Amino acid sequence: MTEEAVKNKIYAIKTTAKQERTVVDNIIKALEDHDEINVVAVMAPDELKGYVLVESPDPIARIEQLREMVPNARTVVKGETSFHEVEHFLEPKPVVSGIDEGTIVELIAGPFKGEKAIVKRVDTSKEEITVELYESMVPIPITVRGDNVRVIDKMAED
Amino acid sequence: MAPRNKKNLRVCRVCHHVVEGESCMTCGSTNLSEDWAGYLYIVDPKNSEIAKKMNIDMPGRYALKVR
Repeated sequence: MTEEAVKNKIYAIKTTAKQERTVVDNIIKALEDHDEINVVAVMAPDELKGYVLVESPDPIARIEQLREMVPNARTVVKGETSFHEVEHFLEPKPVVSGIDEGTIVELIAGPFKGEKAIVKRVDTSKEEITVELYESMVPIPITVRGDNVRVIDKMAED
Repeated sequence: MAPRNKKNLRVCRVCHHVVEGESCMTCGSTNLSEDWAGYLYIVDPKNSEIAKKMNIDMPGRYALKVR
């Protein structure tokens, strides 16, 4: 194993919406037939919708060549980035981070989609939050997944 | 709720490997999860900084986050 610093660059490829995983699989398929393209890893973080990230020591022209062979891959974003800028995708924060008791959220999925609610309890380990609907007459606690809500207001209104 | 992953792929909770069968081929664990996020394909773990950061030494498909 060579320990000398391999200058890998990270390129972003724009994809058709919701096709990120397909594009990753297709990139891998395309690489099998093209040994001249050197890609060491391909990543599709959920936080980065519509893009896949390619780690490669090759120049951007090679990635452009790769992109042409892959369906649903639209364009290679001009320029390259360093590993440090994508490092945070590798250790995703719990989805409930940034949500505290009293936070006003909007439910974005499930039967109460579109309803506003106030957070009553946060379960970080299960990544669940318990909310009470804003406009409900009686306070009924509802437990939802942390990624099913969108934060509207950080502080509770008194 | 609709399944989050169309093909219903499962991920090993121990090594984050994406598996299609009933147990993980790498570590033999049967502790699999259908609830995962982020897709990562490591082609060359020796030269990949992403693989080093994730402590991955086998090529293959991985999930970034498993619940």
